[in-house]
Amino acid sequence: MSEPEFFSPQWAAAVQDALAAGPSDPDRAGKLPMYWGFFDQIKASYPASWALGCRDLPGGPAYLFVQWGGGTVTDCRITGPEEARNATYQLGMDYADWRALHDGYDPQRTVMYRKILVEEGNVLEFFKSVYFFTECLGIIGKVPASFSAVAVH
Amino acid sequence: MAERKSPTAVLREGPRALSDQQVREIEGADLKGVLDVDIDDVIEYVHKDLKSLPGYTTLYRRYLKQRWDVYDLDFTQDKIDWTEKMTEDERQSFLAIASGFHHGERQVEIELPVFMIGAGEEEKLHISAQIEDEARHTVFFDRFYREVVGLQGDSIMDILDASFPWVAETFVGPFGLLAYQADEVRRNPYDERARVRYGTTYFLWIEGVLALSVMKVTLSYARWRGFLPAYYTGFTATCRDESRHVQGGMKYLQDAVRKDPSMTKEIHETLRTILTLAGVASREVIYEPLGWTQDEVRLLFFQQLGRKLKDVGISLPPDLQAMVGSVQPVLAGG
Repeated sequence: MSEPEFFSPQWAAAVQDALAAGPSDPDRAGKLPMYWGFFDQIKASYPASWALGCRDLPGGPAYLFVQWGGGTVTDCRITGPEEARNATYQLGMDYADWRALHDGYDPQRTVMYRKILVEEGNVLEFFKSVYFFTECLGIIGKVPASFSAVAVH
Repeated sequence: MAERKSPTAVLREGPRALSDQQVREIEGADLKGVLDVDIDDVIEYVHKDLKSLPGYTTLYRRYLKQRWDVYDLDFTQDKIDWTEKMTEDERQSFLAIASGFHHGERQVEIELPVFMIGAGEEEKLHISAQIEDEARHTVFFDRFYREVVGLQGDSIMDILDASFPWVAETFVGPFGLLAYQADEVRRNPYDERARVRYGTTYFLWIEGVLALSVMKVTLSYARWRGFLPAYYTGFTATCRDESRHVQGGMKYLQDAVRKDPSMTKEIHETLRTILTLAGVASREVIYEPLGWTQDEVRLLFFQQLGRKLKDVGISLPPDLQAMVGSVQPVLAGG
């Protein structure tokens, strides 16, 4: 079976399943139970939504809209800039950096090196759950995808 | 090298006054002389001027006198100590702590320039000096990891890549926050509230609490064992540089609060986020091979935070005081 195209509806559906399932056992094994306790606590009550943008897709910027609620992902789809503004946090990243994340680049450094940035939303509130966010970013990066688009700059 | 005494020798002594002679030795030591300076005295020196903070021009003049050449250090003996004298447990504990500083120095170097845009003219002199300090500290760790630890690579980023596996997942808390706050300042360089939030993360938490704690743990170990003389020299000189950074940063926060007392709310909100993150650890760091226990490192954290807040005149509301008690001693700095 071929991999879904990056930022396609099929890819967004696969991301929803992966985020709902959470980190794999091997991923959990390398970190302290305290850390995962914090992750699980945030996940169980996280009420916010993310619009994770790809700034330079050929058709213009697009967003992966992720709505959390009740301990799972209640909505996950590709949207345009208009709808992205409704998210609690709107973030942006270039196509090349999305691809690097998919190829295994560290999600923590993706944040720290400002490859992905909060463009709209309260930074201090966002960071209270940043460990949850970076783990989810890592999960998204592992969802299979094909990258056939050519980024526009 | 400074007198060999236990790493935690003065941990519970509390604040103490330095003699004029000790201050002169710290302020005036050249790079070779820094080897004989006691790290406990340098950390005490950081706090010496916090109650009557020196002006930015004074700090800039101190920088001109205290600037050191990172390429003057000779790591030959450090390499021997690292490979032949230190145990594997000591090396792993050391790397688990020092790697947070290796990456931290790079982060504070690149996140500082945007803060200069909205600063006053004298403050710009001090910040420009601090940027050069941070760049030099980045080179110091690059050299240590290449020449002593033995990591290999063509570029500074290659060495950062190679040491990253020792960096805890929680590092993204303070340093990711700083990166995003720097971006807020970049977008609105004259937004004083954004600058105070940035300053709280950078000067109060990363430099005032995290960095000084790393310095104390690794340098008191090197002093105790009589190991790593070039590391001791360069990192003690780094600590002296940090005294200027902390004093300049605390002056900025103190002035901002005096000018507009509502800025205290920005400091508290920033600390609320930082302390939420600081209550979580992703890895267990074993401090005992370096002569410390986790509880002693936690005490060190509390002391550093408490002294900065007290000296600058900022009190914490009860909910933040309660959060301080949950802080996990995961060390990094910059």
